Amino acid sequence: MFDRDIWQEIFHSIRNNKLRTFLTGFSVGWGIFILVMLLGSVNGMQNGFTKQFNDDATNSIFIRPGTTSKAYAGFEKDRRIQLKNDDVAYIKKSFPNDHEFISGRLYKNTSARYRSETGTYNVQAVHPDFQAIEKTIVTKGRYINENDFRAGAKVAVIGRKVAEDLFDKEEAIGKFVEFNNLPFRVIGVFIDEGDDNAERNIYAPLTTYQKIYGNTDEINQIALTYNANYDLTKALEFSRRLETILKRRHQVAPEDQSGIRIFNYAEAFSDISTFTGGLSFMSVVVGILILIAGIVGIGNIMVFIIKERTKEIGVRKALGAKPSQIIKLVLLESVFITAISGFVGLLFATGLLALIGPNLDFPAFSNPSVSFSTVVIATVILVGAGLIAGFIPALKAARVKPIVALSDK
Amino acid sequence: MIEIKNLHKSYKMGSNSLHVLKGIDFSVAEGELVAIMGSSGSGKSTLLNILGMLDTADSGDYVLDGVPIENLNETKAAQYRNKFLGFIFQSFNLINYKSAMENVALPLYYQKVNRKERQEKALNYLERVGLKQWATHLPSELSGGQKQRVAIARAMAAEPKVLLADEPTGALDSKTSYEVMDLIQKINDDGNTILVVTHEEDIAEMCKRIVHLKDGVIVEDKKVEQVRASAYV
Repeated sequence: MFDRDIWQEIFHSIRNNKLRTFLTGFSVGWGIFILVMLLGSVNGMQNGFTKQFNDDATNSIFIRPGTTSKAYAGFEKDRRIQLKNDDVAYIKKSFPNDHEFISGRLYKNTSARYRSETGTYNVQAVHPDFQAIEKTIVTKGRYINENDFRAGAKVAVIGRKVAEDLFDKEEAIGKFVEFNNLPFRVIGVFIDEGDDNAERNIYAPLTTYQKIYGNTDEINQIALTYNANYDLTKALEFSRRLETILKRRHQVAPEDQSGIRIFNYAEAFSDISTFTGGLSFMSVVVGILILIAGIVGIGNIMVFIIKERTKEIGVRKALGAKPSQIIKLVLLESVFITAISGFVGLLFATGLLALIGPNLDFPAFSNPSVSFSTVVIATVILVGAGLIAGFIPALKAARVKPIVALSDK
Repeated sequence: MIEIKNLHKSYKMGSNSLHVLKGIDFSVAEGELVAIMGSSGSGKSTLLNILGMLDTADSGDYVLDGVPIENLNETKAAQYRNKFLGFIFQSFNLINYKSAMENVALPLYYQKVNRKERQEKALNYLERVGLKQWATHLPSELSGGQKQRVAIARAMAAEPKVLLADEPTGALDSKTSYEVMDLIQKINDDGNTILVVTHEEDIAEMCKRIVHLKDGVIVEDKKVEQVRASAYV
């Protein structure tokens, strides 16, 4: 392996076939480059998806009412389903062990004013629990608490953007903002990394808003998180139970998909991991297919080199070279070309990913990169590829009869 | 040194079988310088191939330095060749990207002699053929006669029992041929056993014994008064 003579011969034959070696090596390098880029891209998609979701707790479930698409229990179809505070209480009572946090959600638009600054924002009227569901990070002040909720206090937690718009550099906490001309005290400012739009939201106690808007008990949506210890099957089973029970409660046909919709992140996550898993698999297959073209190329060049050197191999055998020594020489050369060109491809791909990866941040594509294990696996594949590529030519070389060295008249 | 008894060899050519060696009995003692002569088709190349373990006989015995040569696989043949035989080819067959010294050292490499010792021995043999100062030159920088001398040094490097020379002067002009024969004679004077295949009468005259082959049998085997090549150089 570390024999100077063997390496001298390898370098010699590479030197003599520069262009051919380069072109063939290029195909292997290209194969590895594509394989790594594909894997990196799939990784980027995975990162993108995860980032989309990490806004919210990954074990959250959202219940949204709709209009029925089927006549059921004496009701005509196209009936609008309305969720109420009762539903939240009912779920709380019925599934004490299945849920962690639960909150109703009421959406309103509001025009907000602080002194001369105005703006229109979304207000989400929620329970104190909602902070845990949405994973809201409060940087200043505090979130809505039970006291605010029970009292129906006119308090608000505003997004960073809202604070910037209305207060500029002024301290927002403790100030009073007018929402549709009603004064609300700002009790907290929150941020949402990677989502500026979310920072244009305002949270207020659900009770407060229900009082303001006609003393209603209606809500737009229920958000909850399931028991964090649940695995996918249990989580899905829980959301199915939720669905059944809520459909029964609101007289929606069990098979009606549009009356009440339940969105379970667990499901989405499992879909996504299946999807990206499939993509990874596909990219490995495609990458390896491309690599095979490279391997065949190297095999080809090796066969050619051996044909050219038939006589030399014959002489060596006449001088006492064993077939195993000839095989070793050919295999080593093949592995060497494959490994070097593959490493160049690997280096380019990881380099490119390292360079541009961190700068790529789109909703569904973020920081494509390859893990160390991918690099190790690619290296193993390369050496294996070199061995495969050299195998047939090596056997061919070993079969060269030393007699060719003599029959040269 | 070499004992051959009733050696037969035939080649299959389609449905015909070509009987090339038809019972060769032949022995060479240590220190002999034997010329094997014959026209093309006489079987002299086949005989040399069998002697060189590059080909196997159909029947008959071949004993080299007391070792019966039979049932050889490739690896074993390679080992025997390396240990017993040195080859000198008509077209030199030096490896073109290796220097003269590296070429000479190659058989030693296959004997797993370490690098330093290899170089020392190679230089020593190059000196014996008068080419020490050419050690670092590539074959392309050497003349035909020099190449053949490097090849002879290479054949001797592994200190074989027998040197087999296949038309060693076939690609050389007569002056260079005599120089090479002079070298071969000197090596023989040192006690080495050498077989030279040739079809040139004057080259054969420079050996100590001439064996004539015709149609696969030895027709003549005579000792001759050696003509010293140095007289012509």
